[in-house]
This record gives sequence, structure tokens and C-alpha cells, in this order.
Amino acid sequence: MSRHYLDLSRELLDRQIVDSNHMLCGKVDDIEIEGKEALRVVAILVGNRAASGRLPELAKRVSRGLFGSQLIRIPWKEVDVITHQVKLKSPAAEFGLDERKGFAFKIVSLLPGSWKK
Amino acid sequence: MKKALEIFLGILTAMGGFVEIGELVFSVDGGAKFGYSLLWVVIVGTVGIMTYGEMSGRIAAVTSQPVFFLIRQRAGYAAGLTTLLAALAVSLLTCAAEIGGVAIILKLLFGGNYFLLVIIALVFFLTVVWFLSFQAIERVFGLLGLLILVFVAAAFYLDNNWSQIASGFVPNLPAVETSKDYLVYFYFVVALLSSLMLPYETYFYAAGALEDGWNPSDVNLNRVIVIIGFAFGALLAVALVVVGASYFKPMLIEPQLPGTVALAPASVFGKVGLILGLLGMFFAFGGAAIENALSGAYNTAHFLGWTWGKFRPPKDAPRFHLAWILIFLIATLVILTGVDPVQVVEYSVIFSVVILPLTYAPMLSVANDPDEMGPHVNGILAKSLGWFYLILLSIAAVAALPLLVITNGGKG
Repeated sequence: MSRHYLDLSRELLDRQIVDSNHMLCGKVDDIEIEGKEALRVVAILVGNRAASGRLPELAKRVSRGLFGSQLIRIPWKEVDVITHQVKLKSPAAEFGLDERKGFAFKIVSLLPGSWKK
Repeated sequence: MKKALEIFLGILTAMGGFVEIGELVFSVDGGAKFGYSLLWVVIVGTVGIMTYGEMSGRIAAVTSQPVFFLIRQRAGYAAGLTTLLAALAVSLLTCAAEIGGVAIILKLLFGGNYFLLVIIALVFFLTVVWFLSFQAIERVFGLLGLLILVFVAAAFYLDNNWSQIASGFVPNLPAVETSKDYLVYFYFVVALLSSLMLPYETYFYAAGALEDGWNPSDVNLNRVIVIIGFAFGALLAVALVVVGASYFKPMLIEPQLPGTVALAPASVFGKVGLILGLLGMFFAFGGAAIENALSGAYNTAHFLGWTWGKFRPPKDAPRFHLAWILIFLIATLVILTGVDPVQVVEYSVIFSVVILPLTYAPMLSVANDPDEMGPHVNGILAKSLGWFYLILLSIAAVAALPLLVITNGGKG
């Protein structure tokens, strides 16, 4: 059963993103759209710059002051399939979305038994 | 056989995890102040948490989506973030209160410096959550929390005034001296309702269903566990009100400290009663501390799309694991400032009721949506109860803060 449309605000925005290995790697924080009459989605945006842009001015500034303005742009052609989540064609690391590269990982891996379930 | 064992353990765990420090304080103190007249609130609150607990478990089993996935999708980023921050604040306060409560219990059991015991409690919690699996944590604290059943036994010994107890189950106004006492009564109604329906219970329950890998075939398991487990849990809450009314009220004691509350089983069963009561409280408060720290981490991870889960090694979900560690650390710092844990409980319970409608509205909207839920969409009963409680809690949410201020936190 296929449909020929996608409700961007209900079915794309704020949905979970997973990479090609099914690893969770953030949410669709905003969508980049271009064109004048025929609009089309060119990228999905991830990171606090995109997310905080949807807040009122004061909250936006506080959010960026506290959590930075990281922005990661994932070209639309990198999107593999959209179900209740948005699956990418490549691993998260290629977009800079791999948690195992960040500072939380560095701290957690110092603790004993951090590789065990 | 395996399924039957799972149901049995699930029920016991739900029951053992039902009581935490806020409910203990408000039930016993409420009973001591207003006798049996608050018993109907226990029933209203229990049916409420059954309604939304069942809904959150069913949504998790059917859609595999946790609560804050849905809150963000349904309410949008800005409103969702507001709910997340409020939920985090409440989880943090509740976790702080439970840690303080655990330190008080340790002091009663072993003696020693309270602040040192707070640190020991922190180290205990960090070690337990880091090394034990989700299922082990759930079972150990849920089952040992059942020691608190000694209060049910105490209630039976202390009181057999059945007709008066029964009359408390009908909504009523107690006989009080001044009109201001009515406001104190309403403050206790709101606080007891909130403590029975604390939002972390649904977050944690739904996250647990996902940790256990539930699917649509678990919808009935969910229903049985919630209804029977919470009904037995309510028996505990009823016993606590009865203990307050029959043991403390005649002596004009308004017990707020867990140690005072433990005097009731001690008076009936002696030293054994005291130790069982204190150990039951230790595991009940400890379980709630862990559930709140983990709920805060689950909610943040679900909202922001991080990798999450106790079933994953910490290295594979580093942000999630760091988040619950941080919540424990901050909650401990709150308690180390020397603030009275019981005071913290009161604030956490009152602020909880303010965020309950924000949590439950998106849940109801998803459970009512046939596109999301398919054949497991809310039936007429779940839908009606869902709306009833959403309206009731919205009224309670509006009344909560003014009542807190006017009654000076229930002190009149």
C-alpha cells in the first residue's frame, strides 16, 4: 500500500532518526525546504540550532547559551525509508551523529564494566 | 508456566513499587488529621493510575513508542520541551526526597551521621543501577518493598471499625473546626491524589515494557498486571490511611517523619514490626529513587532521540547512562544542603499534579487514535475514564499551588 504524499509536520518533523545499523541518532529537529512555487524538502536538520530555532526568542537564547548551536544537515537523498522513524542510508558517524564519539562516551568508558550489559 | 510466573511477579512488583515516601507521608498524616474521610481519594487515585498506567503500557506494547516520543510528536517541540523540563524537575525533587528518606531509615536502623548516610545511599544506588540489570532492579526493590505489607497487618490489628472505614470510601467532607480546615482537607485530597498518580509511574512503567520487549500480544498481560497489581497496591495505601486514623489520630500525633510512621507496626508486633516496617520503607523509597533517576534519563533520551536502555551496555548508550548518574548526583546535592526531605516531598507531589495533565493529554490522544493503535485503540471505558481523569487533574493542577500557599503546606 503506497501513498503519494507525506504529511511533513505529522510524519517527518520530530520523528526519531536511525542510521543504517538501526542505531538511534537524534530527532528531526527541523526540515530544510526550497523552491518558490513547487516546494521540496532538501535536507533534515538535527541539533540544538535547529531545535532551539522553534522556541520563542528568549528561550532560544537561553537554550543556545546552555547547549550550544550545533547543526547537522542531512541531505534528503541520504534518507532511506520513512516509517514511524526516519532511516538513513549510512552509519551515524558519517554525519557526526555517533554518540560514541562524544564527551559522555569518554566519561562513561572510564567507569568499570561500561562494556557489559 | 513461564507466562504465569511473569504475571505473578509482575503483579507483586507493581504492588511493591506502589508506595513511596510522598504517598506514605500524605496517607498516614492525612489519616491522622481527617480520620477515614480521605479513603475515597485512594480509590479515585488508584483507578486513575490504573487507567493511565494501562494506557501507557498498551501504547508501548502496540506502537513500541515511549511516552516522550509521543509527547514531542503530538505537542511539538516547544510544548514538549516545557513538559520535559517540568518532568525532570519533579523527578529530581522526588529522587532527592527518596534519597533523604532512605538516609533517615538507615539512621534509624544503624545510627550515624545523616549526611554521611546520604552519601552512602548515593553510592549504594549508583552501584546497584550500574551493575544490576533492569529486571533485577525491578524485582529486588519491588519484591522487598512488599515488606511494607506489615502496615496492612498492623491496620487489621489496630482497627476493626469496619462500618466507619467503609463510610470513608464515599466522597465526603469531614467534621472540622474552622472553615480553613476545609482548605487543608482539600490540600490533602489534591496531594494524596497526586502522590497516587505521580507521573514517573507511567514513564517508568512504559519504559519498562519496552525494556522487556513487549509487543501487541502483551496487551492482556499489561492489563492484568496493572489492574491486579495496583489494586493490591491500593490496599497498602488504604492501610496507611487507616493506621493514621486509628493509631495516630487518637493520640493527636500528626506523623510526618518515616520513623514516626514505623511506630504503628512497632506497637503491634514489637521490634520485628519496627524492623519490617523500616526495611519495607527502605526498599520502597529506594525503588522510587531509582525509578525517578531512570525516568529522568529515559524521558530526556526519548525526547532528544538518544540511544537509551539499561539493556544496552553503557558504552553503547553513553548519554542515557550519564544522565541517570547526573540525576542521582544533583538529587543528592539537593539533600546535602540540609533541606528537610519531607518538605521536598510536599513540593514534588504538588508540582507533579501540575504536570500530570501535560503528560496524560498526549497519551490519551494517541490511545484514542485508531491509526496508531489499530485494534487496540481505547474502548468506551478507557476513553471515558481517560477524559474524566484529564479534567479532574486539570482542576487539581489549577488548585494545587494556591492550596499549597494558603494552607502553608497543609499546616493550616
